[in-house]
Amino acid sequence: MSHPPSVAERLDRAVDGVLDGLSPVVAAASAGTAPEARRLVELADGLCSSLVAPPASPRFEARLGARLAAASVARDPVAWALRHPRRLIVTGAVGSAVGVGVTAYAVWRSSRRAGGARWLIHR
Amino acid sequence: MSLRPRSRAPASGIDLDLADVRAAQRDPAAFATLYRRYVDRVYGYCFYLLGDHHDAEDATERTFLSALAAIDRYRDEGATFRSWLFRIAHNQLANALRARARRREAPIDAVDEPGIATSDPARLVDVADEAHRLRAAVSRLSDDRRQVVVLRFVDGLTAREIGEVLGRSEGAVRVLQHRALRELAGILDPTR
Repeated sequence: MSHPPSVAERLDRAVDGVLDGLSPVVAAASAGTAPEARRLVELADGLCSSLVAPPASPRFEARLGARLAAASVARDPVAWALRHPRRLIVTGAVGSAVGVGVTAYAVWRSSRRAGGARWLIHR
Repeated sequence: MSLRPRSRAPASGIDLDLADVRAAQRDPAAFATLYRRYVDRVYGYCFYLLGDHHDAEDATERTFLSALAAIDRYRDEGATFRSWLFRIAHNQLANALRARARRREAPIDAVDEPGIATSDPARLVDVADEAHRLRAAVSRLSDDRRQVVVLRFVDGLTAREIGEVLGRSEGAVRVLQHRALRELAGILDPTR
């Protein structure tokens, strides 16, 4: 068995109507609110018009947008590189350069060690 | 008084943001669409509750960075994306309010006047006065009632979504809304 809607439920339906752009009289009537609750629907209409979200400052919005963009790249560098061919080339080039550098350093280190060992043997 | 219909989730519960959420889960850069759509609303919610632009910016920033970090974990299981996002904002606000529980000053009275579509100076003053009176009255509500009023009338969330944000049932939110409106009516007209 379904219960009849409570006062709070009827008021909420009327508020739904007001938020959808209905006049408070129409919203209250269609929701079946009691006469004493109609002034609350009118008040809801007033709140709807008066309480406006103050916009965030453009400077803040841009700064946070940039932080989010940087965070999203840091979160998924492989996906970031794969999304655009140019990024893939840059990533490949940087990766190769690092690889060449590491190899050259390893060769240099091993040649120095080998030289040192020869010197110890000859002593 | 002119009305400005708010963007609400449809009664069927379909999440209009879902396609953008899926895109952001595949490619984090696509989160920018959701950010642009909600930055003002989240900021407005934070500002109405904290009453300070600087603190509201901090809370907004933390909300979006947390949302981006957790976007992969969002699942379409009844809660809409915006109620999930506002839930994160709500948690950030709770932290901020706890941190400075004793030094909050008259918050929402400082909000700039909304644009009023009339050229009659006398009417302009009347409407601005009424808006000022309403905002001052809302600032006198308790935190939970003020949150319901702001989420409902500033951000256009449904009672169900507000319940998801605040961790309460839909019925409890409706009762809170009813009590908040009754209290506001009493503040605005103590003779009735």
